[in-house]
Amino acid sequence: MAVSDTSKLKVAASGLIPFAFVIVLMLYIFGPGGDMLDFGIALPEITIEQVDFIDSEIQATVRNTGPIPVQVVVADVNDRIQPAAVEPDGYLERYETTLVRIPFEWNEAEPYRIGITIDDGTRFEKEIESAAFALKFTPDLAIFFAIIGTYVGIIPVMIGLLWLPFIKKISKQKYHFFLALTAGLLLFLAIDSIEESIEVSNENLANSFNGALLVSTVVVLSFLALYYVGNKIVSKSDSLHFSKPVAIGLMISIGIGLHNFGEGLAIGAAVGIGSIAFSTFLIVGFALHNTTEGIAIAAPMSRGKLMIGKLAIMGVIAGSPAIFGAWIGGFAYSPFTSVIFLAIGAGAIFQVILVLLKWIQKENDGNLSNLPVVSGFAIGMLVMYFTSILV
Amino acid sequence: MIVLLAVIIGLSTIIVFPSFSEAEFELKTFVTHSGKVIRTTGEVIDPLYTVSTVEFDPMEYLREFNYGKVSKLEDGTTVREYTIIAEDDKIMEVSPGVFYNVWTYNGTVPGPTIRATEGDLLKINFINNGSKEHTIHFHGIHPAEMDGVFEIVGPGGGKFIYEFEAGPVGVHPYHCHVMPLEEHIVHGLYGVFIVDPKEGREPADEMVMVLNGLDTDFDTENNFYAANTIPFYYQHHPIQINTNELIRVYVVNMVEFDPINNFHLHGNLYNYYPTGTDLVPSFYTDMITLSQTERGIMEFEYTYPGKYLFHAHKVEFSEKGWVGMFLVNDNAQSDKSGMEYGS
Repeated sequence: MAVSDTSKLKVAASGLIPFAFVIVLMLYIFGPGGDMLDFGIALPEITIEQVDFIDSEIQATVRNTGPIPVQVVVADVNDRIQPAAVEPDGYLERYETTLVRIPFEWNEAEPYRIGITIDDGTRFEKEIESAAFALKFTPDLAIFFAIIGTYVGIIPVMIGLLWLPFIKKISKQKYHFFLALTAGLLLFLAIDSIEESIEVSNENLANSFNGALLVSTVVVLSFLALYYVGNKIVSKSDSLHFSKPVAIGLMISIGIGLHNFGEGLAIGAAVGIGSIAFSTFLIVGFALHNTTEGIAIAAPMSRGKLMIGKLAIMGVIAGSPAIFGAWIGGFAYSPFTSVIFLAIGAGAIFQVILVLLKWIQKENDGNLSNLPVVSGFAIGMLVMYFTSILV
Repeated sequence: MIVLLAVIIGLSTIIVFPSFSEAEFELKTFVTHSGKVIRTTGEVIDPLYTVSTVEFDPMEYLREFNYGKVSKLEDGTTVREYTIIAEDDKIMEVSPGVFYNVWTYNGTVPGPTIRATEGDLLKINFINNGSKEHTIHFHGIHPAEMDGVFEIVGPGGGKFIYEFEAGPVGVHPYHCHVMPLEEHIVHGLYGVFIVDPKEGREPADEMVMVLNGLDTDFDTENNFYAANTIPFYYQHHPIQINTNELIRVYVVNMVEFDPINNFHLHGNLYNYYPTGTDLVPSFYTDMITLSQTERGIMEFEYTYPGKYLFHAHKVEFSEKGWVGMFLVNDNAQSDKSGMEYGS
């Protein structure tokens, strides 16, 4: 007993000693008198993360994304200096944010460049393509977003599910084709989500957030989490009174749901920044696009009993997040949360693809390279590509 | 127990509301350019200098002329001796909260206004206390070796004496002429050199306005513009003048990067003498256009009292600081009332 205690202590100690040295190193470098690394010039940086247009006023949310504290000292609109207010104050520590209120009679639908100058005279700018009133929450608007979310999310997915009787009646070969088609559709959606999230991060987040790495990390974490949970669900599907197809269908709906949440954010944000015409187009595009997502859920479910209730629930799981996404995107848009949700959606979809491929492989006696699978996968990608052009 | 509770509540209040004591809840107000009054709980950022905090006083510079240390030669020629020291390490608050590395002659941007009469012998003792090479290049007529181009003055106390006869009559710039030239100019190494005609000019309320720009983020575009360096200064601190009094403005355009600048006066027109070399005005106008180092003399009188703007009619420049105001006081009235009071 005593022996094992001391050995445990030794293990713990050997684990902690390197940490102790790291702390000593940090103290040495950053501690008092540690001016060893005090060379070079730290360049300040701020990021204008958000610009809101309200009644006779433009509001910019500014974050210090550089290595040193800064002071916000001048605000301008279209490179013309304007008196302004900073709330709570202009002094920003690293990563601190402040709100710059610029009284300005702006005109709707015109582009604006908002500039902020800091104490060393450096000016930072953000361009807004088209000025529009920041959306205020009203029940009417909430209902409007809910209807859009329904059009984009729930209805197309439900329509897609109507292919189920057709898929049910076809041969095993053709069935594998449809499963692979689903995987192709999903892979496209995952890539789409990643692209979108990197784009949002590049446009709105400071470099110090390491946009692409942030997205990759979240994608992998989301994949791992759902992979673990998903395996638990599938392995316990019997005791949970699920059949395996239902478990897979459920996982696909969750993955697609997360993805549709991201689409909802995009639509809400598009309405929010005033590009209404653009968002009408988005809505039509997403609706067509999302019909294919119904097939993705229908394909695995077609091998169990026909369970209309469960199918409908899955349709809602996959489709309704578009509504919540639209609400958040429209009323409380934040680029950071968009990036995170889009990345989570991508990770979820990768997990579903893996499950689908495993299933096809198992049904196919370990083979993934036969014609129905390969062609299904390819056609899935192509269908998505062509419907995505509509967006 | 109660004491403990009180201490805990007190401490947590301090932690939760750390700025309780800093009059956080006092609303500040400011006026927008369109005249609206805005209230805020935060800080006001407005390029509005108060006289007490300004490092360089444009009001003082405006009417300050440096005639040098005067002596006479045996033949009666007036000799004027000036000392100009260049530095390049000064950080100046050019607009409230904006700190910029200015390169200066005698500590200011623009440098001192050197004034002499045509035919005077000028001796300018130049000392370079900067960390880079500098010179003084005067516009005007002088021998080649006094041109301040090839006679580079080294850093850390290098010396040179510029010696030449003042001329021609007019208003001229002087500036550093070391390469890269643009850099030496935009950092502030320039000033005004006035040569008066021997017979003198009509008495007037005289002032100097150097139109300049500040590229504080070094992207070869000016972030601020001004008359006499400090953006918006004369807008918030109007220049007081009197009705029916001749005003003479020596204006020199030192703006770099932008090809032109201009000067528009409100409620009045002025006689304009390009470069000040001719004693007969060339134009009677309220708008002149000035290219780099283009300069001249403006003369005008106001009939009506009140507030009159003057600014670049290149509105971009005026909205970035090159805008000012004359506050015209009623000369006749004050004289009259003074007389009535006395009599």
